[in-house]
Amino acid sequence: MKRAVWILAFIVGLAVWSSGTVWANGGPHGDYTATTDACAGCHRAHTAQGPRLLTSPSTYDLCMSCHGSAGTGADTNVADGYFLSTRSSSTIGETNTLDNAPLLGGGFVNYDGAAVTSTHDVTGTVTAAWGNGVDRGQTGNLAEGLDCASCHNPHGSTNYRILQTTVNNVTVQVTDYDPGPNKDYDTENWTTAELSSFCAACHQSYHETAAGTGSDPTALTYGGGFTHRVDMPFSYDGNANPETTGLGGFTLPLADNGATADQLVVCTTCHLPHGTSAQMTGFANGVGPAGDSALLRLDNRGVCQVCHQK
Amino acid sequence: MSEHRDTENLRPNAPSLENEDIASVFGTVTEDEVKLRKRQLLWLLLLLVLLLLCLCATVYLFIRYLQKPEPLPELVPVPVEANYPPHYLFSIYGVDEPVGVALSPEGDRIYVAESAGERLIKVFDPEGNFLFSFAPPRTTSPQRVPVYLATDAWGRVYVSDRLQHAVFVYDRDGNFLDALLAPDFTLSEYVAHAFEGELPEGTFAFNLFEQTVYVLSPDGEVAQTLPAPPREMRDPWAPLGVYIDPTGRLFLTDVIGEEHRVLVYPAEAIMRDDWTNFDPPVLSFGTAGEEEDQFLFPNMAVVDALGRIIVSDGNNGRLSVWDEQGNFLYLFAAVGDGGLNLPRGMELDDRQRLHVVDTVGQGVRVYDFSVPEPQYLFTFGTPGKLDGQFNFPVDIAITPEGRLYITDRANNRVQVWSY
Repeated sequence: MKRAVWILAFIVGLAVWSSGTVWANGGPHGDYTATTDACAGCHRAHTAQGPRLLTSPSTYDLCMSCHGSAGTGADTNVADGYFLSTRSSSTIGETNTLDNAPLLGGGFVNYDGAAVTSTHDVTGTVTAAWGNGVDRGQTGNLAEGLDCASCHNPHGSTNYRILQTTVNNVTVQVTDYDPGPNKDYDTENWTTAELSSFCAACHQSYHETAAGTGSDPTALTYGGGFTHRVDMPFSYDGNANPETTGLGGFTLPLADNGATADQLVVCTTCHLPHGTSAQMTGFANGVGPAGDSALLRLDNRGVCQVCHQK
Repeated sequence: MSEHRDTENLRPNAPSLENEDIASVFGTVTEDEVKLRKRQLLWLLLLLVLLLLCLCATVYLFIRYLQKPEPLPELVPVPVEANYPPHYLFSIYGVDEPVGVALSPEGDRIYVAESAGERLIKVFDPEGNFLFSFAPPRTTSPQRVPVYLATDAWGRVYVSDRLQHAVFVYDRDGNFLDALLAPDFTLSEYVAHAFEGELPEGTFAFNLFEQTVYVLSPDGEVAQTLPAPPREMRDPWAPLGVYIDPTGRLFLTDVIGEEHRVLVYPAEAIMRDDWTNFDPPVLSFGTAGEEEDQFLFPNMAVVDALGRIIVSDGNNGRLSVWDEQGNFLYLFAAVGDGGLNLPRGMELDDRQRLHVVDTVGQGVRVYDFSVPEPQYLFTFGTPGKLDGQFNFPVDIAITPEGRLYITDRANNRVQVWSY
């Protein structure tokens, strides 16, 4: 009985400790009290200037008032794609997240010290997405204009990085994998293939998961030609681990559930969701449908070579 | 004719010529009427003189305003104690998402920090005419973000840089002088250390991204490079707010990790022109959190005439008041009338009215800190893009004459208001 009490106490203690290390929730993003004054920080009930009763006509400007390059209210500078300040060792792995560590999502203005070459335009003006209910290479209308709140829930979320639980009217889940005390802010902690499903809420036609989608038309669910499979083990086709081995010093992140054998190639293995400064030259330049750097993590087609190493 | 005789009878010894002259002008009048008309003439003359003086004063003021269009408080001998909001004058454009703003001690220059585009510190005259710009040497725009600024009595400009994790110091013309690379570590200290105590001729530059210190010759060429100071030589920090009080003390806010805090540097350490042995006794207070004696992204710390250190506690949406020894006193403006949403830059005017820029409140809230118990006075500014409307304002600077310069970040301008 006494042992059971100790075990119970340990579990409760662990739960409390874990809740203290939640990353993006809290602060202005959730954990509100019944008498909170936080609502008025961003909303007006009857004199709002923008949609969702916001004090500003632009969701992007509101988010950037903390997360912009000046970083006056956050350590996550999404304009330049940096995590600005060293995390304290008492919270999250100081030794692993250095000052100005690159954000896993990329940047909207600069990334890796250079101007971006492609981004998700989250200023609210984009109203369609590639492969949204249409063939790959075509665009379909979104439920609403794309802005920061299309993907992130400023009120907090059970998902990784306060990602929305409903995107483009599709319910999604991206569990925050907790690697324990060594976790930090610049290491991906996506669990299994959920992150691809998140992207697929707007880009369904690119979410081909069956083996052979690159060469077998019967494996394809959507139209628009053959396509690279996602949510697949990195070791398919005998590839080296792109995350740990890589090529020439370049690496790519995999979805991580703690089991090395199960690490998966997901959308964000090759693409930065916010924006990239990758340069496209030669054959890689102007590849359709967008003709830009397509949010790719590496210059030209480095993302192919890090895995396939031809 | 008979009236004329009556007059002579009343004043038999008086010379008659004067009255005859008057009579010739006004016709036949009594002596009382003459007196009355003389008095009227005098009043008329006095009135004309007064009108002439008023006209001269108006012309003088008009010419002076044309030469120096500023309020004229010195012409009002009695201080105006009424608390009324200022009014909008004009805006300074040509700045890209401006964040910090500061004035030169003489008030002849306005320094504005850009957080987008080229990310320069742009300098304007009081009327908004662009003068020149500058930036940390040997950095590119994606490698720097100047945020807040302050000037000291010598006119030196202190600029916090969020990406370089440093406070850069320039002379009033934007020539780079030195940098604080850690709370108690300077660039010149590191260079002197590398050269065994002797600073080489020329200037220096620091680039965190290139992990390099540049030694520049007097003509600006790179004479030598050094590796950036190793981590063990400089404590990690993330300087944000910069303020210099009237006595010359430097106040910085630091938002590193869990140590969101205020750093206070003594004036004698800051005012030295040699920072190669920089080891001042720095007062530090505050930690990161939501408790009453904690901060979440403190953006600015200022000192009022009663010696209170007032901190704009950004993400906690309040002002935090401390004594000069760094002991917590009380919170203010968290809720109720004058309650703050997201306080950022702030400035006290000559009447100890604290002007706090509320970034998501889209305006400036003003409090009376001249008394032991501060009071909320008024708010000015509304959300929008028109003249006098704000779109995420950040910082404010106030001249002794009552002119206010407010960075209007998302509208890409600096608004100029006046009392």
